[in-house]
Amino acid sequence: MTTPIVEMRNIEKFYGRIHALRGVNLKVNPGEIVGLLGDNGAGKSTLIKVLSGAVPYTSGQIFIKGREVQLNSTNDAIANGVETIYQDSALVPQLSIARNLFLGRELRKGPRWMDRMDTAEMNRVASELLRRVGITKNIPPTTPISGLSGGERQAVAIARAMYFDSDIIILDEPTNNLGVAETQGVLNFVRDARDKGHACIFIAHNIHHVFQVCDRMVVMRMGTVAADDLTPKTSTIQDVENVITGEHLAA
Amino acid sequence: MTAEKTDAPAGAPPQQKRDFLRRLSATPELGPAILLVVMLVVFTAINPAFMSLNNISNALTFTVELGLIALGMTLLMTSGEFDLSVGSVFGFTAVVMWTLINSTALGMPLSFLIAMAVAMGIGAVNGIFVTRLKIPSFLVTLGMLLVVRGSALWLTSGFPQRTWDAGDQWLAEVLVGSFCIGGDGDFCTGGLRIYMSLIWFVLIALACHYTLTRSRFGNWIQATGGNPAAAKNRGVPTRTVKMVLFMLTSALAGLAGIISSIRVSAANPNSGTTYELEVIAMVVIGGTALMGGRGTIIGTVLGVLILRLMRNGIVLIGVPGLAYNIFIGAIILGMMALHSALERRHNEGT
Repeated sequence: MTTPIVEMRNIEKFYGRIHALRGVNLKVNPGEIVGLLGDNGAGKSTLIKVLSGAVPYTSGQIFIKGREVQLNSTNDAIANGVETIYQDSALVPQLSIARNLFLGRELRKGPRWMDRMDTAEMNRVASELLRRVGITKNIPPTTPISGLSGGERQAVAIARAMYFDSDIIILDEPTNNLGVAETQGVLNFVRDARDKGHACIFIAHNIHHVFQVCDRMVVMRMGTVAADDLTPKTSTIQDVENVITGEHLAA
Repeated sequence: MTAEKTDAPAGAPPQQKRDFLRRLSATPELGPAILLVVMLVVFTAINPAFMSLNNISNALTFTVELGLIALGMTLLMTSGEFDLSVGSVFGFTAVVMWTLINSTALGMPLSFLIAMAVAMGIGAVNGIFVTRLKIPSFLVTLGMLLVVRGSALWLTSGFPQRTWDAGDQWLAEVLVGSFCIGGDGDFCTGGLRIYMSLIWFVLIALACHYTLTRSRFGNWIQATGGNPAAAKNRGVPTRTVKMVLFMLTSALAGLAGIISSIRVSAANPNSGTTYELEVIAMVVIGGTALMGGRGTIIGTVLGVLILRLMRNGIVLIGVPGLAYNIFIGAIILGMMALHSALERRHNEGT
């Protein structure tokens, strides 16, 4: 039996008097793409924010690779190998691809007090990485992010997570506002990341996208996990939709 | 980048024009640089005295004091904040230093350090209000403007402070002493008189440029202004970045005030009034984005020169001095139109 990459046990979260997470358990195994589904307000985002250290949880335990951790800040999460790619707050549009890739972990050279970035090395690594994730168009690493398309931006963010050897990559609505071809590109990056040994949590409203890449689906409803054993092989889209809306209970 | 992606839509401008525009939008300094050259040419053509060594040395002396504040403001605005209290700090810091020198036995170097510490303290308070209490910097520094100006007036009862024993202090020499290149006599006839303050300005400008473009801290400054949430998610200490920059801006405003008070031999509690607006104008003319994320020290130096030489040149070519503000306002509007057009191009395809 393998040790799960991430295990969250009995996570409770109150926002004031609002009970946002009610004893949530979540397990992600190595090399697994887990789709996290649920209606608005079901608690998906809160759960992800807890795991990425962005909001504190009220009680419960989080284990990463079998070791219990305290995630008090986003830095704690990153240090523990959890990379979160938020929809709008992953990249700085004004900065170049290379500067974004290394943001917060810039390579430096020369004496420390000069605080000098090793721009040449950062650009070199960035172009190599761009080639490796399959951005075949010849985009120089000094291009600002604002000059890239939505799909290219997701690719840069995913490439960054892969470069820094994160164990688990959390993707928050990565296919939102993307065209058909770009969506396929992003889904390919996700599969690629999995094949290279990164586990993924994939959050999306679009069940079709989730069905295309996920090994397993977790559905949340009203702050609890309604189901965590659905797979694209054993369930239909209609089944999953019923769980999301709670209609399977009525039936 | 955009060209390949849009696959040249119908009616796309010829490649050459596109390249020029792209270069213009990639280097925001190009616009102000062209404007500065045009100004120099026009002023010199109308009145050749504009290019005389004497006039240049005079203009540069005044330039430096506002320029120092503009350097700090550029970094602060790149991080997405600005500081309206710099004009008050400019007046207050000098008043504090000269009050200490005149009424205590601390001596000039110690008084200088205390005054600079007070200026940085003011910046720190601004920073705490903005980063911890999450109040917009416009409101925080507007309040601070009044508090600091009021303190200067109250401390001095509204009268200028005595500064005439500055002459034989080594620190005064280091800050604003002057030397003469190629001239002779006490008035440096026929030569170029260089003030130490100009050297300080050049050194600090180089340091700021290096910080913004080459250092890791500079990357953090741009990220903090460009997308604060992303910066925070990557572990950039955005609050610390802003705190440091508020303190730096205040310190430079204080230093500029002290330099000015030594140069004009008066620490007036009212000096520096409305400097904050002129400084912000200099910074945005140079191409730094008002909303943060993009900043350029080269542009700011150009913006400082444009506004100060404009003031100087307009008088020399015989335009009534009172009309000065018309030209300044027109330049600001014109440059803003240019920058926003370029910014739109830059963000095209997002």
